[in-house]
Amino acid sequence: MQVRKRQCFIAVLILAGILVLNPSLFPQTFEAIKNQVRIHALKNGMKFIVLERHDAPVVSFHVYADVGAANESYGITGISHLLEHMAFKGTKVVGVTDYEAETEVLEELDILYDAIKREKAATEPDKEKLSEMEQRFESLRQKAKEYVVTNEFIDMMRREGDRGINAYTSNDATQYINSLPSNRLEFWMAMTSDRFLNPVFREFYKERDVVMEERRLGLETRPMGRLLEDFLATAFKAHPYHHSVVGHMSDLQNITRTDVENYFRKYYGPSNLTVGIVGDVTPDEIFQMADLYFSRIPSGPKPEPVRTTEPEQWGERRVTVEAVSQPIIVVGYHTPSACHKDNAPLEALANILGQGRSSRLYQVLVKEKKVAVTAVGLSGFPGDKFSNLFAFYAVPAKGHTSAECLELIDEEIGRIKSEFVTPEELTKFKRNAVKNLLNQMKSNARMAALLTYADVVLGDWKLLFDQIEEIRAITAEDVKRVANTYLVKKHRTVGEIIPEK
Amino acid sequence: MGKYSKVFIIVIAFFLVLFYCGNPAFSQKSPKDKFVFPSLNPIQMPKVEKVELANGLTLFLVEDHQYPTIDLRAMVRTGSVFEPPSKVGLAAICGQVLRTGGTTSMNGDQMDKELETMAATISTGIGLTSGYITVSVLKEDIDRAFEILADILKNPAFPEDKINLAKIQQRTVISRRNDDIGQITFREFQKLIYGGDSPYACHPEYATIDAVTRQDIVRFYQKYFYPNNTIMAVWGDFESQEMVAKIKKNLETWQRKDVSILSLPKVDYGYRYTVNHIQKPDVNQSHIMIGHIGGVMNNPDYPALSVMNSILSFDRMFKKIRTDEGLAYSVYGYYGAGYTYPGVFRCGAQTKSESTVYAIGLMLGEMKRMTEEEVSDEELAKAKDEYLNSFVFNFDSRAEIVNRMMTYAYFGYPLDFMDRVKEGLEKVTKADVLRVAKKYLHPEKVQILVVGKEEDFDKPLSTLGEVNTIDISIPSPKPEKEQMKE
Repeated sequence: MQVRKRQCFIAVLILAGILVLNPSLFPQTFEAIKNQVRIHALKNGMKFIVLERHDAPVVSFHVYADVGAANESYGITGISHLLEHMAFKGTKVVGVTDYEAETEVLEELDILYDAIKREKAATEPDKEKLSEMEQRFESLRQKAKEYVVTNEFIDMMRREGDRGINAYTSNDATQYINSLPSNRLEFWMAMTSDRFLNPVFREFYKERDVVMEERRLGLETRPMGRLLEDFLATAFKAHPYHHSVVGHMSDLQNITRTDVENYFRKYYGPSNLTVGIVGDVTPDEIFQMADLYFSRIPSGPKPEPVRTTEPEQWGERRVTVEAVSQPIIVVGYHTPSACHKDNAPLEALANILGQGRSSRLYQVLVKEKKVAVTAVGLSGFPGDKFSNLFAFYAVPAKGHTSAECLELIDEEIGRIKSEFVTPEELTKFKRNAVKNLLNQMKSNARMAALLTYADVVLGDWKLLFDQIEEIRAITAEDVKRVANTYLVKKHRTVGEIIPEK
Repeated sequence: MGKYSKVFIIVIAFFLVLFYCGNPAFSQKSPKDKFVFPSLNPIQMPKVEKVELANGLTLFLVEDHQYPTIDLRAMVRTGSVFEPPSKVGLAAICGQVLRTGGTTSMNGDQMDKELETMAATISTGIGLTSGYITVSVLKEDIDRAFEILADILKNPAFPEDKINLAKIQQRTVISRRNDDIGQITFREFQKLIYGGDSPYACHPEYATIDAVTRQDIVRFYQKYFYPNNTIMAVWGDFESQEMVAKIKKNLETWQRKDVSILSLPKVDYGYRYTVNHIQKPDVNQSHIMIGHIGGVMNNPDYPALSVMNSILSFDRMFKKIRTDEGLAYSVYGYYGAGYTYPGVFRCGAQTKSESTVYAIGLMLGEMKRMTEEEVSDEELAKAKDEYLNSFVFNFDSRAEIVNRMMTYAYFGYPLDFMDRVKEGLEKVTKADVLRVAKKYLHPEKVQILVVGKEEDFDKPLSTLGEVNTIDISIPSPKPEKEQMKE
């Protein structure tokens, strides 16, 4: 009797174990979507990825330009993001009443701007001359403004029903998004091909001011913004993940319109652009229109990849920011890019350690020891395309310190390096990864973004779906191995906000 | 010959026209060319079922078979506006611990673990004028998720250790509330509009958190969490009938009880001009907020106000202050309307310290212009086109459709409220926009709040009027002994 009960118990355990170890990850759902994706490459190298979905008469567009802050060098930091702003200023036909007349004034303005800059840099600037030039600059700017139809590009898009018009710049990429009623397909083709064929970077100097305000808003006046800027500058001594996407203030003050035009020519060739289109459309119609509208963009050489790689770190680095703020701590360990085979196990590690209320860090730091109110682990910071960081982030509870948090984080790192994670923890990661992906795929706009991301960063759009296999295959050994390989004290940077006295 | 050739030409012309319109491959257009859009494919409205259970629980259900997930969101008639002023924070703690505290048979940590292992989430919370419950789950785990949900709603434990944890989090939030300039600006502006003690603007202090007891929390829950006081929206991969059966099975035994809901506190606003400053010496950019009380959506003028908002925000504020002057990254002007209590008319911008007073002048100028002259034909047409052409996006997600219905039902709005707004908006004229601007905007009687470093401002704030300086220092927690002495 006793024996039979125990056997029964073991059988139940095994059954439970099987259920836990082989979670259903909906391969059919992903396979079905994958089979509907169509791709088309133009002769000039531009690529279109299309998924038709006819649930509602709408369509989302995602233009992924494979250029971001990581492509920038000293003197022009922030230029990718500034260019993104300038891409809303119109073209030779949009945003202007008389393009030829405007061009003359804009060229005159650029020449004058250079002259002012040189005069200012002189050992003894001629104040009278300078003030004269600045006055002339302002009156020329006013003259140029007379030809401008303000915000016309955005207005035209919004007027046709674009609810999603926006753009984002990251360390890795610049992404332009639109969502329109699906019968506006050709309008989008005409507007967007014109945008990347004939852009005119008008109202440049005022838009630069807007970007400086954006830097103050998101970075300089926010303690966390300041911390992240200095943290990345410390963790990356060579690779351009070193500088913030918005760029240094002094660079923003000095970047010229010519700089932006050169940057555009270098990085916005059709071979560097990938377009995702998801919604109530048919691929054939899109490909036909894409040939017509986008083949006009002349092909050019693919830009040279980023040269600098981050060298091995020689010892733990520490950085502090003093601010009118309560303490916050960030810790980052160097890890490889999203293409590396260790990426999936690193995501599992991040989930098990630091995502959700049942994660190890939340359990210990927040619930049990009550030293923090937030404790998070994440991989792929600040980008995915290049070697990046596995990061921890903790917000100490009132009356507790960053040091207490770090001590407990270190204990948990030690534990996960020496013991295997449990089958339940692995299942948790796998199922959550799949569910997150499913949830994102519900939206046309997110789906279009995911397809372009997979194609450019991972190297093939199919990997968006095939990564499920990779996730399924992760073992406890993999997680332990990557923890030991990458969570090495010597290779980490610790950043802290120290409350200013 | 003559007759035939005419027919021939007509036929040719007919085909050329067809060819030209129907086959874009032969007619590349410039953005400014005339586009003839094909008719839009019809919107397929999903079937939304409304069911009321015997215990008074109202359900809205919509099937969506594309992905193997099921989601639920419920609204419970309650709100922090009903908590006593001496216990601000009570509703938030109650809403949080309802879920994090677990039930009488399963503690919160076990629940966290089981739910997360199946990639499910259940969350609960209480906001200003409603409580919420959400469930998100993979289809195959729906039965277990519903069991847990029912257990939470019927047998919450509210254990001391999770109440304590929620209080630690509340105190930490208090200690950090002046770290972020944006947060300071929003919070203090709400207090200027509704009053610092108003339930619509007040916030917890150490003393009010300390005053909350477990008994308060249990009573708050017992006062409001009943099926007849709850509306649920469910959407995802299920058959509606089966779903109703599942919900019945789990929630039928959730007992109804008559709930006496107090009406929402009134907002009593006196229009006045004030200039307010919060000194923040560590920043190089000022946060500016200007405005006064707003209104409710259930107002016949709401469609005209929506048009006004679009023009004021985008065609006026954004154009002038951002594009033309380069003074701010984010800038807007918006007459806010709530479902049941008045929202806030709010203009906001963030600009470098050196252009603070100049930017305020421009913002006030744009607001004033709205009340003095008619908008242009172009501005009106554009605002309407934007709204009407993007209207289809209100139907591109079943989650959105069913949640909107639930929200309207909760606040007692007609379920076709959005269509009524659309009809009204189509009829709005330039005269209407000017009329509502004059009626609802009071540029002479705005409250101005500036958070920033005054030494660096272009002009002293006093050039705008007498300056009221707001002290935002955080009252320190009183030791128990001192409290006793008082």
